[in-house]
Formats: sequence, structure tokens, C-alpha cells
Amino acid sequence: MDEIKNKPAAGQPIRRPVIDMRGIFKAFYIGTPNQLEILHGISLAVFEGEFISVVGASGSGKSTLMNIIGVLDRPSAGEYYLDGVDISKIADKELSGIRNKKIGFVFQNFNLISRTNALKNVELPMLYGGMPKKQRDERAKQLLKMVEMEDRTNHLPNELSGGQKQRIAIARAMANDPSIILADEPTGALDSYTGRLVMDIFHKLNKEQGKTIVLITHNNELAEETDRILTMKDGNIISQKINPKRTMDDIYRMTGRDPADMKKGGEGK
Amino acid sequence: MLGIIIGISSVITITTLGGIMEKSVTDTYDALGTTLVQIGLHTKPDADRDYFEFSDFISSEMIEEFEKKFEGRVTSVSMSDSVGSGTVRVNRENLSVDIAGVSPGSINGSMTELVKGRYVTEKDMKAYRQVCIISEKQAAKLYGDENPIGKIFTFTYNNLSYDFTVVGVYKSSMSKLMSAMVDMTGQDWDTTIYIPVTTAQLMMYYGDMTSVGYFYYFTFMGNADESVSELAADAVEFFNTRYYRDNDAVEVMSYTAEQELSMFSNMIGIVSMVITIIAGISLLVGGIGVMNIMLVSVTERTREIGVRKALGATNGSIRMQFITESMIICLIGGIIGILLGLLLGNIVGMVIGITAPASVGAIVIAVTFSMAIGVFFGYYPANKAAKYDPIEALRYE
Repeated sequence: MDEIKNKPAAGQPIRRPVIDMRGIFKAFYIGTPNQLEILHGISLAVFEGEFISVVGASGSGKSTLMNIIGVLDRPSAGEYYLDGVDISKIADKELSGIRNKKIGFVFQNFNLISRTNALKNVELPMLYGGMPKKQRDERAKQLLKMVEMEDRTNHLPNELSGGQKQRIAIARAMANDPSIILADEPTGALDSYTGRLVMDIFHKLNKEQGKTIVLITHNNELAEETDRILTMKDGNIISQKINPKRTMDDIYRMTGRDPADMKKGGEGK
Repeated sequence: MLGIIIGISSVITITTLGGIMEKSVTDTYDALGTTLVQIGLHTKPDADRDYFEFSDFISSEMIEEFEKKFEGRVTSVSMSDSVGSGTVRVNRENLSVDIAGVSPGSINGSMTELVKGRYVTEKDMKAYRQVCIISEKQAAKLYGDENPIGKIFTFTYNNLSYDFTVVGVYKSSMSKLMSAMVDMTGQDWDTTIYIPVTTAQLMMYYGDMTSVGYFYYFTFMGNADESVSELAADAVEFFNTRYYRDNDAVEVMSYTAEQELSMFSNMIGIVSMVITIIAGISLLVGGIGVMNIMLVSVTERTREIGVRKALGATNGSIRMQFITESMIICLIGGIIGILLGLLLGNIVGMVIGITAPASVGAIVIAVTFSMAIGVFFGYYPANKAAKYDPIEALRYE
């Protein structure tokens, strides 16, 4: 293990993780008395600026975990703090606001609204967030420029290639400058070349804007590029692998604490 | 949407046509004068016979008495009797004419107007003169450009040939609606000729002078200063107390133009109501159709709903989106319906020669109503969409 050079001075506050999950359980009722437990007490901490990946076979609970991270669903038990907000204390009605402001979704099959053009698609989260039209327009154009799609502003999704669609979807995910970007198999429907382009955009967002990204993937090669790989199996995180290319410094910079702790699942303290 | 189009267009057509009909009816009665009263025989409800005897008839003496008594209140009196129809031979073609016996006062409150010559006079009446007033169209057909006055008009009635001298030419001042209906029958021939009523009755009763001067009914025009119904009631009372008190079966009754007008309005009202009900049913069916379209659309776009929710759409904004869509569908249907209805109404109006202005109220109501249908029938599908679970919706294929 590398030697840690910039250990923070005593008394410096430890940074709170953006995603802070403690003992998350998720069970589905498939008719009493049967109960199907999908997640068996997952604890996870993801820090600001981290780019992590979650891998695992289908049925391992990846999607359920992602739904909980993305507050599309609530855990049956356990605590979840998203960017310091206790999700269990948020009313159902306000969850949509949390999704709108704090989370940017990128899906495998892009899920753009087919009847509206690229610009309108990017504007959509801002519209739901109540941003005024002029500001919305400006920001959407800026985001499209960021993903190098500024010349496709008025195109409908079906006039675009898969890679182009995914870039627009990423621009849309960035619309409200969310705390995390949640990407579910973003390259799954793309060939390796365009998949590469999309991954480059994620890396760029991570490096240049310090975005926290959670990538769910089957592709181990892509997962290897991220800071940390979580492997799931049967509703548990069975392993955590820290990218060997990351220096302890990097991790220290992000988390503000000893990487040795993180192997235990990253308790908040 | 078709249902909405049909429903709204029929409502607009009906209101437009209703407007046209009402306008034409009021036009007609304005022309007739709303002070027109008819006094006619009528059997008493508890009478033991249901026919009139000759002795029951209103005699010209009675009418004279009435005129004297009501002088100043009654402006003119008309006695008339329809003789039946005769035939005129024109260019080896037999044309039928209706022969109407009239008195000098009959021109008032009739739908005719004299354009040439004179009308029937008292002298014509007393002398049983064989004079007639023919229509412009008849004059044109029979005499062309020649002056018809003084010409002999020959017609056959009851297998007897009559020679009448033309003394006047009249023109129909029928309402446009009625003349349009006549025009539609393709006639260039007003069928009626007017002759003195005494002459007419003499013809009818084969020259029996004692039968002349008795009527089933007569009409008079009241003074415009006075309420028509009051005048009519007074007239009825005059006849019934003076001449029909001892008659155990028959008395007189009045009919005023006002009564007829209200009857006609009622009729239009009933017709409009029936069509409005039909329109209502088609709107209901249309609304259900829209609901169906929206349900299909919601199901088809399940995934989109999921995406929108993931991007932060609230249930309320999803609901609003679909209600708005449903409202727009209904509004488009409503607007097409309004245009179609106006078109239909105006085509019919053009055919009968009267155009009524489109009822702005009806259009406003139609627009509001179609939007209301949109909201009402769109609510259920929209609510269904709003309540989708985002995870399920995102997974939907």
C-alpha cells in the first residue's frame, strides 16, 4: 500500500459522503406469507467526485440498489442519506423534487422523449424544476455544447444515432447540476467505439466537473476504469476493489480519511 | 373525436337554424302584424253535436255590428272563403288556380301586396262582380309584357267556365323562408287568385244568393295601441253574449298571431331540444371515445411517463400533461364541429335565403363545453398515468 502523504491535520472535518447507505434492506411482498428479500443490508458510501461502478450478474440486486440510490424506490429498512438528506423523512410527493435536483439518470436505452427535439429533451428536467424559459434554453444549449451535440439541437431522437442519443441523455442528466449521475448500463446498447466515446464523456465530467458518478455495468473492462468497483451477488456487496491506478492520495483527497476504513463498507464516521 | 365533432356541429347547426327560423317567423308575423285576430266557430266542450249548422255561421250583419261596436279599436276586417281550385288553360297546358274569396279589408294582414290596379271593393262585393286580382307571375305568364288590367281571365271551376276581369295584380310578400319553400317546388306560378268573397260564395253555392254572407271565421286587425289578447277576448265576448248565448252547441273563439307565434316557438323549442339531446348523447359517446384514446395513449407511453417521473415530474405535472392533451383533442374536435356547424347552418340558410348571424353565445358555450369534456373524460386516464410506479413504468416494454 502506498504511503499516505497528505493525511489531513487533526480536527479537519471529515467530508460527508454524497451517498450514505447504512444497512439497506429491500423486500418485496409477493403475496403473504412469502417475502422476497432482494437486498440484505447493504452499506455503501460514495464521496463527492468519486466514479464508482457496480457490477454483478442479473438478479444480483444491482437494479434494486440503483432504484433506491435514485430514490425511485424506498428501502424496506435501513438509512439512506443522499447529499445529507434523510430520504426516509421525505414525503412521497417531495421525492420527485429530490430526483429532479439531486440525481441525473442515464439509461441503457436512452429514454429520450421521442416527440420532442434534443433541446426540449435536455430542458425537461429544468422545466420540472421550474426554471424560467430563457435560462432553460441557455443552459440546455450550453449542455449540448458540452457533449458536442450543439449542431443537433433541433433534431428528433429518431434522427440521431445511439451514441448521439446517449450524449443527449447525458446532457439531460446534467440539466439541474445533480449531486450524482446514475448511469444504468449506458453503453449496453452501443457498439464498443461509441461506447468508448460515452465513457470518455463520463470521465470528462468526473475529472473536469468533479461529478459523482455511479455506473452500473456488465462490462468489466469499463468498470476497471473507475475509481472503485463494487461487485454484487445475491443482494450483497461481496467485494470492493479500489482501482490500483488510484493513488492513496486520490482517495484521501476525495474521502478525507483513511482508505483502509472503506474496505469495511465505509461507515460515515 | 368524431363524436365530439358531430355533437358540437349539430349543436351549432341547430342554434344557427333555430336563429334563422325564429328570425323568419318573427319576420312573417311582423309583416302580418301581430295585431291580427281571427274569430272562428268552435263547438262547445259539452255540446251534443260536433258539426256546424248553417244557422251557426257568422253572418255579415254580425260582422257589421261588430265593426260599429268596435270602431276605433279595430282597423280593418277581412272576410274570406276559399272556393277551391279551378284550372286555367295556358299554352295548351292546364294550370291549377286556387280561388280565394276576399273582402276589401283582406289585403291588410295578408301576405300579399298590391302592385298594380286595385283590390276588391265594397261595390264589387255588393254587385257580385266577376273581377279578380292575379299575381305578378300569373300576369307575366298569361299576358307577357302587356298590361294585365282589364284583360279577361278565363278559368274553369266545377266544370263551368268563368270569365273574370283582371282589376289588380298582387305580389307575395311572403317571408323569405316561405317563398324559398315555394321556389324549391320549382313553381313560377303563384296559384292563388283573389275574387270578391260574395262572388266566390255565389259560385260555390251554385248561384243561391241566400247562402252568401255567412262565414266560419273572419279576421280583423286591432289597433296597435291596445293589447291584442284583450281585444280578442272582448270580441269573443261580444259575439258570444250577443249572438251565441242561446246556441247550445256553438260559440266563437279567437286565435291571435301571438298565439301562433308562441306555438311555433314552442315547436322550434321542442325540435331544438330533441336535437340537443341527440347532440348530448353524441358528445357523451365522443367523450368516452376520447377517454379511450387517452387510455391507449397512456398505456403506449408508459415508459415515457416513467422517464418523466425519473427526471423529476410530479404526479400533478403528469396528470396536467394528459388532461391538457385530452383537452386539446376535444378542443380541436370542438373547433372542427363549430366550423362544420356554421357551414351547415349557413348552407341551409343560403338555400332558404336567410342568413342569421352565428350565435356567439353558442360558440362560446360549445368551446367551453368541449374543453370541459376534455377535462372530464381526460381525468381518469391522466390520473392513471400520474399514479404509475416509475420503476414499473421504466421497465415497461
